[in-house]
Amino acid sequence: MAETQKTGHEGYIELKFGPRWKYIACVRGFVQNFLAISIVDQTKADKIAMAASELLENAVKYASHDETHVVIRVYPETEKIIISVENTSNPESIKTLKDVYSNIIKGDPFQMYIAQMKEAAIRSDGKSHLGLARIRYETGGDLSLSIEDNSVNLSIVIE
Amino acid sequence: MNKFNIEPINQERIKIDVEDIPQGLQIKLHGDIDMEDPSILLDPFFSKIHEGITSKKMKEVVADFRGLNFLNSSGIKAVAKWIMKLTDLADDKKYLIKILHNKDITWQVTSLPTLTFLVPGGVKIE
Repeated sequence: MAETQKTGHEGYIELKFGPRWKYIACVRGFVQNFLAISIVDQTKADKIAMAASELLENAVKYASHDETHVVIRVYPETEKIIISVENTSNPESIKTLKDVYSNIIKGDPFQMYIAQMKEAAIRSDGKSHLGLARIRYETGGDLSLSIEDNSVNLSIVIE
Repeated sequence: MNKFNIEPINQERIKIDVEDIPQGLQIKLHGDIDMEDPSILLDPFFSKIHEGITSKKMKEVVADFRGLNFLNSSGIKAVAKWIMKLTDLADDKKYLIKILHNKDITWQVTSLPTLTFLVPGGVKIE
């Protein structure tokens, strides 16, 4: 389910979907198409679609309930974009997410991405824990995590 | 079939061909790698390539990513895992991974060059 609206100078789309892996590629395509008509910079649109896809993968992997909420806000005058993905999760997954986030957020984005890649390469549990570091480095945006009870919100602001 | 009898991958959204080249092997990736755990598919595939190349002491693998539309971070992990195998090779078994990238695909421009920093001298991007 998707909704597009425009309030003042700001446009946005809002989607809610049951977290199913096979929907992620559809949402990535949808975001890319939405941005193609919203901003001029196609490279930026591609990076944002990648970021949305990685955030959704994260949400689907760690969601404990059936609804993931995605909001993408576009400020056409400055081409500033905010992506926000919210879902509920369990305490164990929230702890993992907090650990990954605090690990990658503290240093230079490029160095943290390389370090995280090296760490991912020796993991044997099938997880990469690489998505957030990738988003932070490749988009150059400001990533933030907020947690309230079992609700997780990951946002990125891309100027 | 190629010199190491490595089976190509041909699944719903991803196709990887393997071809002989004089100095080693060339792999060509097409489609999208966006499944939940691509390591199930990619880890054994890259291991076979690594084992084949090192056993014959060949010098190069060309990894042609130009037809790959999307690679998620779990897929990047699988590629990084392959590259990290270069770290502890004896001198006579060292080989180069030459990555061909498509400058018109944004993720390839931003993601693939970072792989050259994992093992200095082990990966070249063109």
